[in-house]
Amino acid sequence: MVKFPILLDIYQRGEGPLKRVERISLPEAGDYAIGRVGDNQIVLDTPEVSKHHAWLLVREDGIAVSDRGSTNRTYIGDSEVDTSPWDGALPVRIAQFEIHLVPQTSAGETRVNVAQENATRAVSSNATPSAPAAPAPRGQSIEVALNAPSAPNETRFPRNIFKGEIVSAQEIKASEFFAGETTYITVGAGLGSFVWADHLRIFGVSTGEIRAIGDAVVPYANYQRLCRNSQIPPHERLRSNSLSTPDNIWGFPGYASRETWKDLKEFRFSGLKHIFQVFGEASLAQTFTPRSGEVFKSIDKEAERIGWREMFVAGRVLGIRKTNDERYAVAYRVPEDEARAGVRERVMIGKFLHISTGYPATRFTEDLQAFKARFPEEARVFNAYENHEVVYRNLQSNPAPATVVVRGRGIVASRIIQRLYEERAKNKGITIVHQMRNPIGKNEGYRYKRAQRYVYNHIENQAFNWPKACWGGQLLRETERASPEERVKIYEALGGTTTADRRDWRNIIQLGLGDGWYKPVFGHFETLELVKTDQGPKIQMKLKAQRNQPPVEVVADYVLDCTGLIGDISHSPLLRDLAETYKLPRTLGVGGGKIGGIFVTPDFEISALRNGNGRAYAAGQITLGGPQPGVDTFLGMQYSALRSVDHMAVLGAPHLSLFGPLRSFSQWIRWCTNATP
Amino acid sequence: MVPTLKGRWATRILLFLWIGVPITFLFSLFVAGPDSARLPLIGLRYDILPFQILSLLLIVGLILDPVYFYIQQFRWERDWPFAFQFFFSIIEFVIVLGLVWWGVLDFSRPRADLHSSESYFLYTLHFAFVFIPSFIAVLGFIQIFMIRWRFKSGEWGRM
Repeated sequence: MVKFPILLDIYQRGEGPLKRVERISLPEAGDYAIGRVGDNQIVLDTPEVSKHHAWLLVREDGIAVSDRGSTNRTYIGDSEVDTSPWDGALPVRIAQFEIHLVPQTSAGETRVNVAQENATRAVSSNATPSAPAAPAPRGQSIEVALNAPSAPNETRFPRNIFKGEIVSAQEIKASEFFAGETTYITVGAGLGSFVWADHLRIFGVSTGEIRAIGDAVVPYANYQRLCRNSQIPPHERLRSNSLSTPDNIWGFPGYASRETWKDLKEFRFSGLKHIFQVFGEASLAQTFTPRSGEVFKSIDKEAERIGWREMFVAGRVLGIRKTNDERYAVAYRVPEDEARAGVRERVMIGKFLHISTGYPATRFTEDLQAFKARFPEEARVFNAYENHEVVYRNLQSNPAPATVVVRGRGIVASRIIQRLYEERAKNKGITIVHQMRNPIGKNEGYRYKRAQRYVYNHIENQAFNWPKACWGGQLLRETERASPEERVKIYEALGGTTTADRRDWRNIIQLGLGDGWYKPVFGHFETLELVKTDQGPKIQMKLKAQRNQPPVEVVADYVLDCTGLIGDISHSPLLRDLAETYKLPRTLGVGGGKIGGIFVTPDFEISALRNGNGRAYAAGQITLGGPQPGVDTFLGMQYSALRSVDHMAVLGAPHLSLFGPLRSFSQWIRWCTNATP
Repeated sequence: MVPTLKGRWATRILLFLWIGVPITFLFSLFVAGPDSARLPLIGLRYDILPFQILSLLLIVGLILDPVYFYIQQFRWERDWPFAFQFFFSIIEFVIVLGLVWWGVLDFSRPRADLHSSESYFLYTLHFAFVFIPSFIAVLGFIQIFMIRWRFKSGEWGRM
């Protein structure tokens, strides 16, 4: 049951900690509109918020949040929501705002809180005029206006036209939403889409027959953000191989030889070491990995060459349906500035569909989520994939001793430790507590058949996310041929969290262990509390006792969670709807029983979406647990694109060549001379 | 490289046909003496010995491939670094030299012709001519023509 009035705290995320900008109270049940413009009840005035962004549906028996097709989406915690009940355990996130439900512990306590808060403003779902709030500068202001709500449309786009499993192409073409038809449509417009479109173009398809629908015209926009946040600036190296080249379907020349060539042109003969790295990889030399900035530049160049801008359509894909003429209808909403007579909804029809929408969410371990929800103003707990520059800034500007807990043992943890080590040059008081689930002995690395993974400092070492033969060797063969149940076993044996064997990282660990500013601790945290100390508030963490060990307690200034991103497709409303509508088979999740990605054939076809001659394919993270392990990698995307484009070519898809040696060679020459395909 | 056994064999035969045979042909014209056989029609003199050496290299390689593949099983990545490829190619040539020295080709011509120091120099020169382009091809040039090769563990053809 909901007790009225409901109190909501609205916080704004800036560069520093979250700041509470408003406390509002909702006196009664009703539908409260959230958006940028004045006809909403809750106005969040920044450009990232859509004009009519979301509904807060308040009923006697509970609260629900419903996105209104916003550009930047609505989240509860880290999960993107379409319409979802909201219990207040996690905040509702809209652009840089977080809406927290103030706990209704007891009526009296709530009243005290209200009394203390002069800023609390009542919001009525009925039209009860009140004094307008003091104007704040645009881009930062939040207003609570008191207008009459309108009921949310029960038949919202695209459900108003996507009624059954199969929709009529004729009806769509006659509707105001129709945005044209094409042969090849890729959904996502990220790196997976880009690599797929690159293959299509090089195999003979013109730009007019390809459309890529997604948020950002820069195909690596999302990836670059994740890189930057997880401490891979342009000059730092990715965890990727020289021959994994999203800008070049042949994988030759690789990034190593290009870097060498660039160095030699400037008479830097040290550049030859990159070639030697590829030659002596792993055994004689440290594995070569490219600089992120160089990879992005190369993708820009290829995007220009293949005419990516002509193929790109800005929009957020909301739904996908089979049509009655053996094709697919893709419903999307374009940005506000592209509205046609106020209509932003569009439907495009295509014969061949490709879905590559990437990771739906960053992951927060539950205890950290709960801590963040309880103490939203404490900028102390971050996911490594979030922007957390504030931590490094504070460590620099305040040269007092500070403890940073780094949670997780993957590559991101290694990078974060590297960054903290660099900060130590300015602040010698930084101590790193590295929290890992359990210790791993020298001979306790993962085993698969006759081989075992190398362990250093309780962390398993591996050059890339998976063993190399997962991208085209014995291990790819084995996973491809295995049954779903056998695949889970292979993935469990090969998977696990690993980091790269980098000499500089080892040196940091050695130094830190020797000087005592790096300390590994093991176990799950049982409690996470904010405690007041002489040096200000700190986070107190208690670790569950390990066998024969006393429980560990850590008092930290910051916690950086490096446990990764969430790949669960049910966090994406588009994929959830698609999976439910067509009962798409799912892969088995690693760890047994949990549901994994969308099941695809070895050609990366979603066979349950086959529609006569129409074909649908998927790529990237959403196919996790399928025929290929490294789906979310550059090389994995090249592989899946090649598989699906080859598959379509054999079916006789328009203008796709079979790409034999001669065509391959002539197209490669065109790539080298930067000529259009 | 991440070859399977089938892929190793396929790549070896591919390199034999497309690099080994043409280069050996040119080399055999170069080393031909006045007594060598003539090519039909064109009439150029050629020497059969380089082809025998090349065939020996192929046979030794095909026999050693299962051994390499077995070694790969103990490598976590199931890979075969380029450095290994380089090193074992030279080992294979040394084995071929040993076989020649031991007398496998003695049936074909007088021992003195096969075992002179000049002959051993020519074997090495021939090997270098074949090995260097083959190794460069494996480093990535094959992919320019055969885009699927790297994903097919070294086998040819479609996916």
